[in-house]
Amino acid sequence: MKFQGVDYYQIDELLSEDEKMTRNLVREFLEKELEPLVVDAFHEEKPLDMRALAPKMGELGMIGACLPEEYGGNGANYVTFGLICQEVERVDSALRSYIAVQFGLVSYAIFRYGSEEQKQKWLPSIARGEKIGCFGLTEPNHGSDAGAMETVAKKDADGWVINGTKQWITESSVADFAVVWAKTDEGVRGFIVERGTEGFSPTSQSRKGSMRASDVGELGFSDCRIPLENALPEVKGLSAPLSCLSQARYGISWGAIGMAMDCYETALNYAKEREQFGAPIAAYQLVQEKLVTMLIEITKAQLLSYRLGRLMDDGKANYAQISMAKKNNVSIARMCARLARETLGANGISLDYSPIRHMANVESVYTYEGTDDMHTLILGQDITGIPAFRRQL
Amino acid sequence: MTVNIIVCVKQVIDPEAPPSSFKVDEAGKKVVPPSGVPPVISPFDENAVEAALRVKDAQGGKITVLSMGVNLLREVVKKPLSMGADEIVLLEDEAFTDGDSWSNARALAMAVKKIGEYDLIFCGRQAADWDDGQVGSGIAEILELPCVTVARKIDVANGKAVVERVTADGYEVIEVSLPALITVSNELGEARYPTIKGIMAAKKIEPLVWTPADIGLEPAQAGAAGRKMNLEKLYQPVHEGKCEIIEGESPEEAGVNLALKLREAKLL
Ligand SMILES: Cc1cc2nc3c(=O)[nH]c(=O)nc-3n(C[C@H](O)[C@H](O)[C@H](O)COP(=O)(O)OP(=O)(O)OC[C@H]3O[C@@H](n4cnc5c(N)ncnc54)[C@H](O)[C@@H]3O)c2cc1C
Ligand SMILES: Cc1cc2nc3c(=O)[nH]c(=O)nc-3n(C[C@H](O)[C@H](O)[C@H](O)COP(=O)(O)OP(=O)(O)OC[C@H]3O[C@@H](n4cnc5c(N)ncnc54)[C@H](O)[C@@H]3O)c2cc1C
Repeated sequence: MKFQGVDYYQIDELLSEDEKMTRNLVREFLEKELEPLVVDAFHEEKPLDMRALAPKMGELGMIGACLPEEYGGNGANYVTFGLICQEVERVDSALRSYIAVQFGLVSYAIFRYGSEEQKQKWLPSIARGEKIGCFGLTEPNHGSDAGAMETVAKKDADGWVINGTKQWITESSVADFAVVWAKTDEGVRGFIVERGTEGFSPTSQSRKGSMRASDVGELGFSDCRIPLENALPEVKGLSAPLSCLSQARYGISWGAIGMAMDCYETALNYAKEREQFGAPIAAYQLVQEKLVTMLIEITKAQLLSYRLGRLMDDGKANYAQISMAKKNNVSIARMCARLARETLGANGISLDYSPIRHMANVESVYTYEGTDDMHTLILGQDITGIPAFRRQL
Repeated sequence: MTVNIIVCVKQVIDPEAPPSSFKVDEAGKKVVPPSGVPPVISPFDENAVEAALRVKDAQGGKITVLSMGVNLLREVVKKPLSMGADEIVLLEDEAFTDGDSWSNARALAMAVKKIGEYDLIFCGRQAADWDDGQVGSGIAEILELPCVTVARKIDVANGKAVVERVTADGYEVIEVSLPALITVSNELGEARYPTIKGIMAAKKIEPLVWTPADIGLEPAQAGAAGRKMNLEKLYQPVHEGKCEIIEGESPEEAGVNLALKLREAKLL
């Protein structure tokens, strides 16, 4: 394999045999099959063709690894899910977006809150990569404050009628179905809306400066009628979509490490080869300082996510701990991307090297699944007991 | 007919590791394992595993992986299990280190005997570290089995294997009775990926670990002690690259000048 990993604190020794084997498998598969496609997809803003790629990922078991076997998964643990996210995001955030949405958001919502029929219908086919789902929570006027959503679902004798718009939705235009959150008389509820349903119009968005290899767009609902059984039965209230976010945020905390590792490795190799003023730039203190900063932050982030993963596996992690890892790791990935880009000089702005692409992508990651600020507020509330989200003007 | 296959796989330094990480200890006549570069299964051995899996897919059967060395990383040597192989035997003992083709072939042959039931033994055409390409034929010789080398396709039927064998200008077709030993080349095609399902299954398979005594070898017959070949010198050759651009008024003239230059250098 080309990439040997960044493991300054022998964290590999803490991983089990199957965790390492899965990490190696995903790394090998991505290096051969996906890495070559990423730069063009990003450059041309032509999202990776997940319709074609997902079945390959599904065959390996990468998509639904953590689901129980009866729903098409492999019963893998959260650390394994984290390592998968790390490897895919090392290649491109768009791929990690795909995995985090399929497992953390869509599958988890159905697994936790769906009926048995819904689980049987969707989970195995998502895990195989045959079906793709998307998750509609954010709206044009309500992002961080998702609870203020305007999308509504009204119940009548034959079903639910949904009206509203969701924006910034990953895999919107390719998805076979959407898990959509809407206000009802009973509080916020989740609904499964299949592609082709009358009144449902998904579109994709272009002219993005970030996540250019990812399919992101809008979901429009105009008197969109769906059968009663398409509501997720097991939950009412905003806590449901938030619990899904926790899953995806955890995956992101690992994904960010992958991104940072790739930036560090690229910068280190470049610095050892690039000569200026008669010596490799790695010989200069200023450059060493950048490399060392990256390595220290990556190592801390690894320990954070590793410990969080074990807590998740023991059922002991809480949402605020997840916020800490998401916030910290994405911030350090953002810093590493910049430092790596700097180290590469003018080559650092070329898409022939990965840091500028990661640097653009990380801006989305910094914002979605709870902006960096939101995680500060979540942690702030957790330690003081005082929520600081809202103020009266 | 279901087929029992033993596949020999070797853990080697990753041949794709950056060349800068490759170091030789000239005094100790050893390659220094690069730090931070995890080993892999020798790529031709992965082709051999793939060959075995294809036979198993077509005929049914059992695949036993056999690997020899020290510090065999389970996540590396168990990879064939995660691809679909059934069992694994490890010859893992300090005494097995630094063997030559002869002592390695002998230990592996003894292990094959102890495993007992087999119709086919597959090896990679050569190992990615020393590139000797002798262990496969050595095992066949010791076990008095027919041996076909550099296979690109293997079909098993009626107690025989039909093997396409790579030659310099194409391939030949050889029919061989079983049991037989076949060394497999990359022309067979890329090995399949493991699956996470396979990884979870592999986790439950405990390797059988054998020492020289377990396979009826004295420590003096295994590894370095059992060598018949003496390594005189091991060093890192210095590569010197020189580049000369051959010019010409037109592409044709440049071509002619290049041909003249090559003839001058006695390369044409
Ligand atoms: C590439 C991409 C993919 C996405 N995919 C999905 C998806 O699949 N599904 C989905 O539902 N959503 C998705 N999103 C949307 C994402 O979750 C939202 O963008 C995010 O929640 C932030 O919402 P917003 O963009 O409306 O920003 P806003 O909420 O308007 O925030 C703007 C700024 O104000 C700050 N802010 C807001 N409130 C406060 C406060 N109380 N105190 C201090 N600062 C505050 C924020 O931190 C931020 O800096 C995606 C976004 C992107 C970029
Ligand atoms: C969009 C764009 C347009 C440009 N236009 C022009 C143009 O019109 N004309 C032109 O001539 N050039 C142009 N440039 C080139 C630009 O001036 C160079 O990129 C810049 O001088 C840096 O050189 P470099 O890219 O070779 O990086 P390098 O010099 O290789 O530097 C790489 C890294 O090493 C660091 N470094 C180097 N030496 C030391 C040291 N001694 N101690 C500590 N750190 C060190 C640098 O700070 C940097 O982080 C352009 C560049 C860009 C990106």
